[in-house]
Formats: sequence, structure tokens, C-alpha cells
Amino acid sequence: MSTMDTLPAASAERPRTAASLGALYRLLLRTQVTVPRLLGIVALGALSVLLGVFARWDDDPVQAAAEAVTSYGLGFVVPLAALWLGTAAIGDLVEDRLLVYLWLKPVPRWQLPAAAVLATITVVAPLTALPLAASALAAGAGELAVAVLLAASLAVCAYAGLFVAAGLWLRRAAWWGLAFVLLWENAAAYASEGTARFTLTSWARSIVATAPWVDVPLGGRSVVAALFVLPAVAVAGGLAATVRYRRADVD
Amino acid sequence: MSAATREPRIVAEGVSRWFGTLVAVSDVSFDIGPGVTALLGPNGAGKSTMLRMLCGLARPSRGTIRVLGRDPRSDVGVTRSIGLVPQQGSVFEPLTAREFVRLTAALHALRDPDAAATAALETVGLDPSDTRRLPAYSKGMRQRVKVAQGIVHDPVVLLLDEPLTGLDPRQRADMIALFRRLGAEGRCVLVSSHVLDEVERLGSRILVMSQGRLAAAGDFRELRALMDDRPLRVRVRTDRPRELAGALLEAGTVVSARLDGDEGLELDTNDAKGLARALAPVARDRDASLLEVVPLDADLEGVFRYLVQR
Repeated sequence: MSTMDTLPAASAERPRTAASLGALYRLLLRTQVTVPRLLGIVALGALSVLLGVFARWDDDPVQAAAEAVTSYGLGFVVPLAALWLGTAAIGDLVEDRLLVYLWLKPVPRWQLPAAAVLATITVVAPLTALPLAASALAAGAGELAVAVLLAASLAVCAYAGLFVAAGLWLRRAAWWGLAFVLLWENAAAYASEGTARFTLTSWARSIVATAPWVDVPLGGRSVVAALFVLPAVAVAGGLAATVRYRRADVD
Repeated sequence: MSAATREPRIVAEGVSRWFGTLVAVSDVSFDIGPGVTALLGPNGAGKSTMLRMLCGLARPSRGTIRVLGRDPRSDVGVTRSIGLVPQQGSVFEPLTAREFVRLTAALHALRDPDAAATAALETVGLDPSDTRRLPAYSKGMRQRVKVAQGIVHDPVVLLLDEPLTGLDPRQRADMIALFRRLGAEGRCVLVSSHVLDEVERLGSRILVMSQGRLAAAGDFRELRALMDDRPLRVRVRTDRPRELAGALLEAGTVVSARLDGDEGLELDTNDAKGLARALAPVARDRDASLLEVVPLDADLEGVFRYLVQR
């Protein structure tokens, strides 16, 4: 008789992947979603709708809406909202020393980062993609709306993966992320074609550029590639987070 | 109890852990079987680091740890058999006690997480139907919630890091009774504490850590005897230090005496109780006033230092 034979029946159960992933996802949603965060992201989204309303009076409202949605929406609203929640998803658990309650469980290590990415997408995608699409509609550029919705949603996925990983790998991840958004995703993206191809925003803008009669700044990438690159970045971020989570000492 | 259940549940061999130049745990070896074992040591002795390594939360810099024969760091499956009550007071603030404990039950894939959470909360004397969120709980109640999440999956190995902190005397007694019961049922229960009196009530087997090293291991009564026999240093302030020192040395009550200024006197004795009995009569005989008597090294850290130096 081995020692393991003495395990009580309750502790000998096999983990169920969907159940544990669901439990982690629900937990992270509850810990991530706070009133200040929601109000902040809603305010960012509301401002984009307002920009769409103003674009309606432009000589070329479709082009004006496209520029507002890509420059402000994809350049700032989407990455900043994803940054705010993504870095906090697991980063807050580390800072509050709560990870111990999740790490010591018979749950595959990839599930917590996956739940964090999913929870971030769940909150950020509707709160940013829908207002951006509404912004296009408010400008009278209905033909942009679907492309904007798709571009913003995929961009949220990519940024969520990236920032969840940053929350595990970096101290002060929110500040590093802010620097990344401002300096890389915006300043460096406009600096040269060479750096632009390595920014997520340029891939997202390329999807918006598929809409007719618009010229989207930094939107010169292949849309087919964009549909692959953005989800791939999300998956890569999740994997990077998993690697870190597996190796980390938990306090 | 079968022969298998008497096997060591936790084995640490030559375990060290350092953070840069700081050595938190140094070459510690022990094994623990079923029943309650106390891990005793002052704050900063390395107890929490040791517990974190025992359940896989931290990797040893050197040495090996086995829980139920498996590596808790790399073998996720063995976590099914481990319950941990961590030292930190933080809990998931948006959750109620029931939701928190149920979460643990769900992550352990128990068939009925609700029933398991209810049973665990009742075991620690909390109301499972309480709808308040955890921040509304007192420190003692949160501590009991942490114990509930540690036992909800009925673990074979239960590690508790300072679990009695914040509990009132009655709650402490209840919790100690619970730990003893779990140990008597054949579980391996390791409780860390820096409070000697708590440890005395937990059970007879102890591990003593000090300055990252295992200072002593074995029966608590042996440790008590060592403590009673150890040399004790006492500082005395009196208006006649020379006369008092001479009389105490002559009587054999102290083994050495040092003058410290005009009124100060430091005495070393191997018989603390004898010195306590003799000091006042000797002072009276020599017409000396005792202005202050302060035992040095009488705190727990002093006890641990003594054990390490042995």
C-alpha cells in the first residue's frame, strides 16, 4: 500500500479543465472590474463617440471619422484600456500576495494567464470597440463601423495578451506599458515605416483601411496578415505569461 | 493506522534558499510524519520561506523536498493533497467567505463545492450563510476563513503559517483542538509559530528554526528542559553592587558577575530559579537596595540563540 492510497476520496478527484478555467475567469472578472476602472474606460469610449459627432460636420466626414477612430481610438483608447485591466489582472494578485491561493491548486498553469486574457478581453472589448464603432456611425460613416469593430476587437485581444504577460514579468508594469503605448505604439509608429510594421496599432489600422474611400494613417499592412498577427500576439502573450507563472516564486 | 500512513509525508534534505547574498534557509534536513508538528522560531528565522518551499511555492536553491514522495514544485498533481494557510492577511476582497472557500473547492474539482465550503466554514466556527464580503470580517474571522480554505479539500498534508495570529483565546483553543484532531486522524499537520506557549499546546513534536538553520528537532519536553537548564544573564541595579556580587558568588548562586558603572551588575547563572529565590535575601543581608532586576536573553530569540550555539 503506497502513501497515496491513503488520500481521502475528496482530494483524489481529477481536475476538470472547463470548471477550473471558468472559476478563475469569474474570479478575475470580479477582482478586475471596479467602479473607477469602468468609469475611466467608459469615459475614454464616450470621448471617442463625441469625436465622431464632431466629425459629422467635417468636409469629408468619413475620412475625418476614420482618422479619429484610428488615431484616438486605436492609438490610445484600446491600448490604454487594455493596459489598465491587463496589467492588473494578475499583477494585482502578485502585489496583494493573493497568488498563493491560486498557484497551489491542481490546475494546469496555463489556465490563470488564459483566464486573465479572457477576462480582460471580456471587459475591454465591448467598452472600447462598440463606442469606436458608434463613433463611426455618429459621423455618418456607417461603412467604417464593421471594420472598426473588428479592428478594435482584435487589437484588444493582442494588447490583452501583451499586458497580462507584462503584469507577470515586470514590476511597475502599468508604467512600462504606458511608455510602450506612448513611445512605441504612437511616436515610433509614426517615425518610420520600418518601426511601424512592428507596432500593433498599424496592424489594427490596416483592418480599418479595408473600408472604402478612406486613407488610414499607418494602415498599409496586409489585412489578411493583420487577421493572423493580432490573435497570434494574444496567444504569444498568454504563453509568455504562462512561462513566467510556471517559473515564478509565489509570495 | 497502517504502516504506509506512518511513513514520512514530508522530507527535506539539505535544503537551502538564498536571495542574493541573504541566506534565508541553510542546509535544513528533516522528515515529518502524520500528526501535528510545530515549526518554531522567531520572526525572520526562515519559517515562512521553509513552508513556501515545502508546498512548492518557492524553489530551493539547493537540496530536495518531497511531499508524499513527489516534488511539490514541479508536480501540480500533488497539490491536491496539500492545504496551505499562508501568513499574509490578504484575501479576495470582492468575495464572501463562502465564495472564497467555494472557489478553493472548485479549483480542487470537488464534486460538490458548495457542500464542501459549507462544511469547512462550519468546522472553523463561521456562518456559511453570512453574506458580508471579507473586508467586513474581523482579523480573527478572516484567519478562520483562511483555515477553512486550507482544509476544504480534506488534504493529507496541511501547512499553516502562523495560523493563530489575530485569534482571541477561545478561538485559539478551538483552532488548536482542530489541528490536533486533524493530526490524530492521520494527517500531517505542520504549524509554524513564534509563540512558545502556542507550540506547547499544539503537540509534542517540534522543529526549531533560527537564523535559517534547524536549531533543534524532537520532543517539546526536551526543549523545555534545555531551556530551563540554559545559562541566564541578569542585569541588577543596586546601591551596593560589589557587596552583592561577592555574596552571590560566595553562595554559588551565580557563576560570574561583572560590574557595570557605579550601580550596575551583570550576573550569569545556570540556575535561574535559584537566583530568583536567593537575590532578595542576600541583598537584605548585605543591606543593599535592589533598584532594578532585568533578565537578559529571556525572550524567545535568546532561547533560539542558545539552541543554535549549542
